[in-house]
Amino acid sequence: VTTTGRSGCDADDGHCITCADEGITMRVTEVRDDGAAIGVDSGGASHEIAVDLLDGVIAGDEVLVHAGVAIGAGR
Amino acid sequence: MRFVDEFRDAQLGRALAGEILAELEAGRHYKVMEVCGGHTHSIYKYGIDDLLPDNVELVHGPGCPVCVIPMGRVDDGIAVARQPGVIFTCFGDMLRVPGSEYTLLDAKAQGADVRMVYSPLDALRIARENPDRQVVFFAIGFETTAPSTALTLRRARAEGLSNFSCVCNHVTIVPPLRALLESPDLRLDGFIGPGHVCTVVGARPFEFIPLDYGRPVVISGFEPLDILQSILMILRQLRQGLCEVENQYTRVVPREGNLRALEVMAEVFELRPHFEWRGLGFISQSALRLTDTYREFDAEQRFEVPGVRVADPKACQCGEVLKGVIKPWECKVFGTACTPEHAIGTCMVSPEGACAAYYNFGRLAREREAV
Repeated sequence: VTTTGRSGCDADDGHCITCADEGITMRVTEVRDDGAAIGVDSGGASHEIAVDLLDGVIAGDEVLVHAGVAIGAGR
Repeated sequence: MRFVDEFRDAQLGRALAGEILAELEAGRHYKVMEVCGGHTHSIYKYGIDDLLPDNVELVHGPGCPVCVIPMGRVDDGIAVARQPGVIFTCFGDMLRVPGSEYTLLDAKAQGADVRMVYSPLDALRIARENPDRQVVFFAIGFETTAPSTALTLRRARAEGLSNFSCVCNHVTIVPPLRALLESPDLRLDGFIGPGHVCTVVGARPFEFIPLDYGRPVVISGFEPLDILQSILMILRQLRQGLCEVENQYTRVVPREGNLRALEVMAEVFELRPHFEWRGLGFISQSALRLTDTYREFDAEQRFEVPGVRVADPKACQCGEVLKGVIKPWECKVFGTACTPEHAIGTCMVSPEGACAAYYNFGRLAREREAV
C-alpha cells in the first residue's frame, strides 16, 4: 500500500492511519484488473487498496477500508 | 465530505440529547455498553458523555484489538522478531504494547528488523522484495482486519511465496460479549453494536443478546450523531418494552454482512479451541488460527515461540477496564505511572483503548456533574 499526499497521521483526528483497526472511508478513483484500486481519504491522501472483497466497485464509489482492504461500500 | 460533516452537526446533536432525555424513566439508572473501541474513541473525542443525562452511563467494552492482546503473545512476537534473517511486520500501535520485559519497539532498538505496516498486503510486498529473508506479519484484530489478513494469505499461497508467514492473533467479538453477559458483576441495559465488525459479519451473530439475555442491541456508526441516535434507539426500545437487534448504520452495514469476506475468512481461518484475552482470561472458541491448507504460513509452526503465559502487572487494572467494571481514571496508575508515552497496560496504548481515550481528551479524573 503506497500512500501519497498528506501524511496519514492526523493530529486533528487524534487517530493515526497506522493504527490497527481504524476504518477509513475512501472514494475510489481508479480500479485495476488485478483487484487493486486507488482510494482517496477525506484529507486528500491517496492509497493503494484492495477491492477484491466487494462486487463491482467502480471509480466514484465510496468504500470503507480497514488495513488496506475495502470491506464495505456506502449504500 | 459526504457522511462526515452531516453527522457532526452540533445543533442536531443537542436535539438528539433532548430526545434522549424524554425517553428516560424517572429514577432508573441506565448502563449502555459500547462494544467497540472506535466508539469509545469517538465518545471522548466529541464529548458525547457530556451531552447525556446523569443517569445514562456509558460502559466501555472489550472491542479494542490491541488492548486484548496478552503479554505472552507480545513475548512470542518478540522471540520471532529476534530470529536471524526475519523481517517482522505489524501495525503501528502494536509496536508499543508491553510484553513481560520489552515492546516490539524496544526489540527494534536492540537490533531486530521490526517494521510498521498499514496493511498485511504491505508485508506481502516486503516478502516479494526480499526473497532471501523470512517476512512475518503479526496479525491482530477483530472481524474488521481478519479479512485483510485472509486475503493476503490467499494471495501469498497463490503466488507460492515460501518466505511469508503470520502470527495469528485474530479474535472474534461474540464470545467475550457472551462472557460479559454471564458475568455477575456487570449489569447492562443495552449494547451499542460494533458497526464495522457488522459490515463483515452482519447483524445475525448479535441476535443471541436479545434472545438469550433480553438486552437490546443497536448497530451504530462512528460519528457523534450516529452514537447519539443509537443511544436514543436503545432507550426507546427499553421504554417500549422491545428487545431486538436494530441497525442504525444502514448506510454501511448490510444485514447479511459481506459474504465474500466471510468466504475468504472461512477458507483461511478456523476457530482456536482456547485463546487468552488480556484481563478476561481464557475464552473458548474466541480466536482464529490458520486452517490446515494454510498451516505452512503459520509463523508459530515455522519458528520456535516461547508460548508462555505471563500474568499482567499487579498495578495494572486493564482487565477491569476492559470488562467495564471500573472507569479508566479509577485505576491506581492511570495518568501517573501509566501514560500513552510509557504505557503499563494495553488500554493506554491504542487510541481506541479506553484509558488512552480518557487521557488524550482531558478526562484525567472526573466527577460527573448533574446535567
